[in-house]
Amino acid sequence: MKISLNTLKYYVDINTSVEELCNKMVMAGFEVESIEKQGDNLVNVVVGKIEKITPHENSDHLQICQINIGKDELVQIVTGAQNVFEGALVPAALDDSYLPCGAHIVKGKLRGVESNGMLCSGEELCITENDYEGASVNGILILKDNEVIGTDMREVLGMDDYIIDFKITANRPDCNCFIGVAKEISVVLGTEFKAPVPTYKTVGESINDYVSIDVQNYDLCPRYIGRVVKNLRIKESPDWMQKAIIASGMRPINNIVDITNFVMLETGQPMHAFNYNDLANKQIIVRNAAIGEKITTLDGKDYNLTPDMLVIADGEKPSCLAGIMGGKESEIEADTTDLFLECAKFRRDNIRHTGRALGIRTESSGRFEKGVDIVNVEYAMERALQLISDLDAGDIIDGVIDCNNGLPEDRILTVTTDKIIELLGVKVPDDEIVKILNSLGLETTIDGKTLTTKVPSIRDDIEGRADLAEEVMRIYGYDKIVSTAMNGSVMRGRKLPERIKTDKIKALMLSAGAYEIATYSFIASKAIDTLLLAEDDVRRNQIKIINPLGDEYSTMRTQLTTSLLTVLATNINKKINEGRFFEISKRFIAKSLPITEQPEEIPTMSIGIYGSDEDFFSLKGIIEAICQLCGAHTQYERSSEPYLHPGRQALVKANNVECAVFGELHPTVASTYGIDTKVYIAEIKLDVLLGINKRKTVYKPLPKFPAVERDFAMLCDSDIPVGNLEKAISQGAGRLLEKIELFDIYQGAQIPEGKKSVAFSVYLRSADSTLTDKEIEDVNGKIIKKLESIGAELRK
Amino acid sequence: MKSQLEAIKASAIAAVNAANDQAEIEALRVQYLGKKGELTAILKQMGSLSPEERPVMGQLVNEAKAVVEGLITEKTAAMKAKAQEEKLKAETIDITLPAKPVKKGKLHPLNTVLDDMIDIFVSMGFDVVDGPEVETDHYNFECLNVPADHPARDMQDTFYLGENLLLRTQTSAAQIRTMENRKPPIRVICPGRVFRADEVDATHSPVFHQIEGLVVDKGITMCDLKGVLEQFAQEIYGKDTQVKFRPSFFPFTEPSVEVDVTCSECGGKGCRVCKGSGWIEILGAGMVHPNVLKSCGIDPEEYSGFAFGIGLDRLTTTRYKISDIRLLFENDKRFLDQF
Repeated sequence: MKISLNTLKYYVDINTSVEELCNKMVMAGFEVESIEKQGDNLVNVVVGKIEKITPHENSDHLQICQINIGKDELVQIVTGAQNVFEGALVPAALDDSYLPCGAHIVKGKLRGVESNGMLCSGEELCITENDYEGASVNGILILKDNEVIGTDMREVLGMDDYIIDFKITANRPDCNCFIGVAKEISVVLGTEFKAPVPTYKTVGESINDYVSIDVQNYDLCPRYIGRVVKNLRIKESPDWMQKAIIASGMRPINNIVDITNFVMLETGQPMHAFNYNDLANKQIIVRNAAIGEKITTLDGKDYNLTPDMLVIADGEKPSCLAGIMGGKESEIEADTTDLFLECAKFRRDNIRHTGRALGIRTESSGRFEKGVDIVNVEYAMERALQLISDLDAGDIIDGVIDCNNGLPEDRILTVTTDKIIELLGVKVPDDEIVKILNSLGLETTIDGKTLTTKVPSIRDDIEGRADLAEEVMRIYGYDKIVSTAMNGSVMRGRKLPERIKTDKIKALMLSAGAYEIATYSFIASKAIDTLLLAEDDVRRNQIKIINPLGDEYSTMRTQLTTSLLTVLATNINKKINEGRFFEISKRFIAKSLPITEQPEEIPTMSIGIYGSDEDFFSLKGIIEAICQLCGAHTQYERSSEPYLHPGRQALVKANNVECAVFGELHPTVASTYGIDTKVYIAEIKLDVLLGINKRKTVYKPLPKFPAVERDFAMLCDSDIPVGNLEKAISQGAGRLLEKIELFDIYQGAQIPEGKKSVAFSVYLRSADSTLTDKEIEDVNGKIIKKLESIGAELRK
Repeated sequence: MKSQLEAIKASAIAAVNAANDQAEIEALRVQYLGKKGELTAILKQMGSLSPEERPVMGQLVNEAKAVVEGLITEKTAAMKAKAQEEKLKAETIDITLPAKPVKKGKLHPLNTVLDDMIDIFVSMGFDVVDGPEVETDHYNFECLNVPADHPARDMQDTFYLGENLLLRTQTSAAQIRTMENRKPPIRVICPGRVFRADEVDATHSPVFHQIEGLVVDKGITMCDLKGVLEQFAQEIYGKDTQVKFRPSFFPFTEPSVEVDVTCSECGGKGCRVCKGSGWIEILGAGMVHPNVLKSCGIDPEEYSGFAFGIGLDRLTTTRYKISDIRLLFENDKRFLDQF
């Protein structure tokens, strides 16, 4: 809410500087967005007298002026304007001056002749005839003869005002107006608040002879007041009113429209003026729009209406979109003679819905959406009539039509001061509490410790003791709130087990040299296509955002891989030649589509690595470490994710439950992302790993007896997985097996085509004794037998 | 015989002292002390002595042997020490050569800051809980005293996923779930991701992070709120940090406050960072609205509490002086490596 300081001074004594006023208002709950000093953008422009004009030798339209600015020397300024004459007083922008239009004027040469500034037009000063007579002239602004040479133009134009932009919180719609803010200032500064008391003259007759009002939907329109003014004398509104309107960001139009706008800014209550003579059947009907009805609004746009929208209709058709914008047909124009004036309360959610549905938001609809006071409707109407009367804008017909279903009584709250202090923790004295509440217009008496407070309808934000406590405290001073330690039981803070485990996984990743990344939870709807998934893949069942910021951010992700690939591509394209990255976040899985209940949010981890040292097995090592950390026993199987290299990917099972897929990125997918190097990626179902109950660690005695190492070099078909050989050895060795180490895989010379040589070191150990040669030979035999059973034979 | 012994001893001492390397010493040891050495040979001549002379002479020989042996040991040790000293000297390296890197990853800066905050609040007795990111209208708005079509909904542009389903606009939704599931005394924080329909620019992101705090107990006051926030601010910004409350409005707290802390950059004197005010706004807070307590089945006459919401992204960008919030989500390794 922008308000000029001079306007506020009309309602309240302000006995302090603007800065101090603003600081105090901030501490009372009214944030100040900006303080704009008028004329801040008009610098170093003074009244100058043209003493002499000479033609410019190199131009047929430029003239060289010698300007007297009240100093010893004249200032030479070249102008292109033709309306200047010797002896004229003009606004002279001197060297290094600033104009409201944004221009910075410095001296220079115009076609070889020195010019030490610029003579200004009204347009260049951003002023109109309202600000200064002659401002609209095409050419330099010629000032009145009585202006004093050398005077700053800000003074000439009366730019001594400040415009303060108060941020009004959603609970205080009553402060979206001059009076509301002024009342608060009077409390904050402890000065007098002077509300205008409306009085006006009427010309007799009866409104009932002029118009009938029928409110058909009191639910959407709880109060509607109408008055009639005839013999309009439409002209410009006075300077003070125009200035107040402009300062608040609106445009003056004519006295009648300006009065309705001014009253809205002053009281917070929007009004609407209808051309009385355009009202069919002299009827006003407040009703829902009929199916198929249309309206052309003041701004010339056509809208199709729906029955949930409230309109003000005449006897035939909608004449106004209730509370939002008037109709073109009943607009007040220069030749309008008679006026029907509306002041009403409309239900805020209905205004909001209609405004959103039609895409219209106006000063008026904004206020109705935030809520206007049903009692204040009457005051606003009275005030408007007073201004019409005072400004001699028309003749007011006697009588008022006030349609309502009863007005609310003031609410009575009773609460003890102890209860207020209990919440604040600050011992505000009882009499101070009473004084503050009364100063805010909350009529309060005290009996013992019990407060009885009358809450007027305009403060419907005040519901109970918490609200009263806030009102008391913001005036008493938030700076009086001191820090205390909480009383009560000593509590121990805990993290959830999932978070503790996740933190450990992150620590492991850091020690593996990986960087944690953070990416958005929503992705482009088409991003999933880059993974080449089958049409019926469940990951395609993505939840769409109904009102996304754009397609790029339109879809809740069902996987973390596409986000990861984008990050890898970003880094690779920046010539960062190696890296390990991971993210722990959620994937969103709909229970059904379109969704009707909250989706599953599943903790998920993605890992991506690339660089000359990285391969499939580096990633496998990381995954194995994570699984071990979580207490999982891992198995690997071939998998068939379409976005991974078909021969270089694996499914990981943790304790027989699928928990991850990883592998080398498929070159087709890589090229989609502009990735030109090999990258290895994994997506891990963290929910599976976090759900594993790690077995309790029990100490095992260190071995007392020596281990025996036996090497096995095997020859087998090259497509037999090494894992199968290991499994065979493990089965053969039984409980004596300590560990198996692969030390060589060889294909080539001396190995038949289609075969490979695989060599292991096998360590055997018994906990109870040194193994005898016989025991060792027995185990050897079993191992070889098992290996032979899967087609591997000992190399001779 | 005695003089012969003295002569051998003297020549042995002279020879050992004159020796230049270990090989020479070893040769001398063999020459004098070895099985066929000169001193050993003397012992062999003992048979020719009288029984009275034998022990006397034996003692003299053994003494001579001990002296030579001792000298050899000493000399050997000195030579070894010297040799080692020379070797070490020769091994001197240029300590300014680059270190062999230990590959160490980094947490995302948001989580580095979050972990600090979690530690602070856990130490103050707060539990750390989670809540869903896709919320119902009920939890995100209704229970927080923001009924449908309340103007406060305009304060937050919400992403909708379906009828009554939305991406939570605040972690405050987790307050409600906590109060429904726990009995006072309650002390929790809920860190998490939140979403608002803000176009992406240097200071706005549609995805950001909050840490919600909630305390409910008997006799909790605004002064307690200030106490907790002051303790938190001093942990994060330094022990001289002051906290200032300004009145504000949130639908789910009453009274509500905006919380400023003294600018950590200038200590409150006023600088570019705090735009000359000496204060930086860090969070919004307030006393839990009685309607909110009621909607969670907690009697506002018996219990009171406070809640606060801290913007993690802002805290992170101010701590590290990150000028553009988009950097947090771009994940350039050179950026991530700095924290």
